[in-house]
Amino acid sequence: MFETILQAVINGLLIGGIYALVSIGVTLIFGVVKIVNFAQGEFVMIGMYLSYYLSTQYGIDPVVSILFSMPILFVVGVLIQHYLIRRVLGLNDLPQIFLTFALSLLIINLSLMFFTANYRTIHTWYSDEAFHFGGVYIPYAKLVSFVLAMVLSAVLWVFLKTTDLGKAMRAASQNRDVAQLMGINPNRVFAVALGIALALAGAAGSLLMPFYPAYPLVGQVFVLMAFVAVVLGTLGNVMGALVASLLMGVAESLGIQFIGADSGLIVVFVLLLATLALKPSGLAGGWRK
Amino acid sequence: MTELSQNRRKLIKATGSAFFASGLSAIPLRGYAADPVNIGALYPVTGSMAQIGTGCVAAAKLAVNMINDAGGIKSLGGAKLNLVISDVQSDTTVTRTETDRLITSNKLSAIHGCYASALTLIACEVAERAKVPLITGSSSDMLNKGGRLYTFTPFARASQFAQTQLQMSKLSTDKPKVAVIFENTAFGTATSNGVKELAASEGVEIVMFEPYSAGFTDAAPLLNKVKASGANTLFSLSYLNDLILIVRSIRQMGLNIAVNAGSGGFVMPDFYKNVGKLAEGLQGVTHWNHDISPESKKVNEEFKKITGEFLFEYGGGLIAQTYMLADALERCASRDPQKVREALSTLDVSSGYAAMAPGGRVKFGPDGKNIYGRPLGVQWQNGDLASIYPKDFARAAVLKT
Repeated sequence: MFETILQAVINGLLIGGIYALVSIGVTLIFGVVKIVNFAQGEFVMIGMYLSYYLSTQYGIDPVVSILFSMPILFVVGVLIQHYLIRRVLGLNDLPQIFLTFALSLLIINLSLMFFTANYRTIHTWYSDEAFHFGGVYIPYAKLVSFVLAMVLSAVLWVFLKTTDLGKAMRAASQNRDVAQLMGINPNRVFAVALGIALALAGAAGSLLMPFYPAYPLVGQVFVLMAFVAVVLGTLGNVMGALVASLLMGVAESLGIQFIGADSGLIVVFVLLLATLALKPSGLAGGWRK
Repeated sequence: MTELSQNRRKLIKATGSAFFASGLSAIPLRGYAADPVNIGALYPVTGSMAQIGTGCVAAAKLAVNMINDAGGIKSLGGAKLNLVISDVQSDTTVTRTETDRLITSNKLSAIHGCYASALTLIACEVAERAKVPLITGSSSDMLNKGGRLYTFTPFARASQFAQTQLQMSKLSTDKPKVAVIFENTAFGTATSNGVKELAASEGVEIVMFEPYSAGFTDAAPLLNKVKASGANTLFSLSYLNDLILIVRSIRQMGLNIAVNAGSGGFVMPDFYKNVGKLAEGLQGVTHWNHDISPESKKVNEEFKKITGEFLFEYGGGLIAQTYMLADALERCASRDPQKVREALSTLDVSSGYAAMAPGGRVKFGPDGKNIYGRPLGVQWQNGDLASIYPKDFARAAVLKT
């Protein structure tokens, strides 16, 4: 029994690491630019296909390929901010919502055209192997992706806390107008925020590739969890999204184990509602008055 | 370029040129040769089932070309079969309107389609009202209920699949303790209920019976539950993407368990491409396989030449279905859909391409069900799908895992 519970918790943490990479991107964009990026999952998908092709064409290990997927998606993020999102900022919310939503549909359908609906899988030497102590198994691929997800989150956190640009991003997220008065160029800050968020999505894609099949709709599978994590961890709060993601992974896994295999999401949403009832703005916010 | 996309290109080229050729031949021949016989083909060429739908269309075209090359329908003056393809987009609403459109805008003698039972159930309602016979490889038992007169199902039914699956569990162990996991919509629920109902009479113990929501992010929690149940056999009634994750997680979690993954995505070449060697020894159930007869081996070779992959269950069955239609057309010597229906209802073949079905004989009962239809137990062996059960259909020994 103990082994089963321990395994369930480990399984939850391991997938929670991936949720974290996706949700941190969403929360960062929301916090800084104040828009909801509905296309975040699709950038995870693009990251997966990048790694898939780098691996099958050039033999680059999918984990190593984050060195390509992250910079490429960073640039994509900057371009999207510069040519698309910047144009609709300051208008009312509707154009912003439809912009990222349209982007999501566009990317999915282009992928169906170019990549086809086929599932693509990479098998590396460590893909389906695991090390175990007693009866508890930890797959290498998931462990590597979890550790790297935590490292990337830590790097981002240090960046936001210590660098000028990071501080500028936090300032812009707290109060855009005042930040501008203090000489912060919002366009530059927004572009970097989009770049980082998409780079994280790209990393999530690359890190998923050793154990998850790529297909055009794969982003949708992860983005739902990411949105829940963003709300649960308080909108715009990077650390909150990280903690919420891990919590949700564990809650889902325990729910499947002890309630029912189709109840994983029920447990996650109960967790969300209970949290919001007590802390209306999420885990990182204050208690209900 | 990957092997995959090359194959895809080959397929597009081949199907494209076949399409082009059939279009060309129709023009100069008109006037001095028999008018073609229009056969409607409803398949999901786009949407979530696009990949399988495209394969179905390739198989349908191959069958029509084979029949036409052999002289067409002789009793109709060598009339050629003309495939009228329609995309039902993996969508039930589109299936209804497309079936309607296909029937009203073409003089069809018969229809085949639509791969997924959910789509076929709708198409056959429309065909029934329009009095056009529809022949299908879809497995839902619902297709044989409700007194339909124009629906024909030449292959084993879903309820028969469940029984075969239970019997096969004894191939790997004397005392099967089965964990059944199934996706919680129509497909998984219907099949798993069949398993549950028949388990006791087949002497199989079910230790876990668990629905899950399709499209999960991770199969490990589910497999941890299977592990805790103490099962030695796993029935997984899943869509392809979930199944890929399940099979990989079995390995990652160090589970030692026999797997029977039923039909659907499991019996497609794509499954092996995605899980590789992990597929070896896994068992499933189909209504057709490419090793069942000399004829099926032959069409398999032809299909491989076009697509580079072996002929999958539904595609193979579809070629047999086209020959059943040809047999009916030959006997009734008419393009009239009602006469074709009459001829189908008296069909009785036990040789040639039309009889290319497990059981080796096709004769429809009053409910449109082939009374000789039997499911086939299959196993992945060396990257290929081998028929292993029941004994009289077995073409390879059972690989013990």
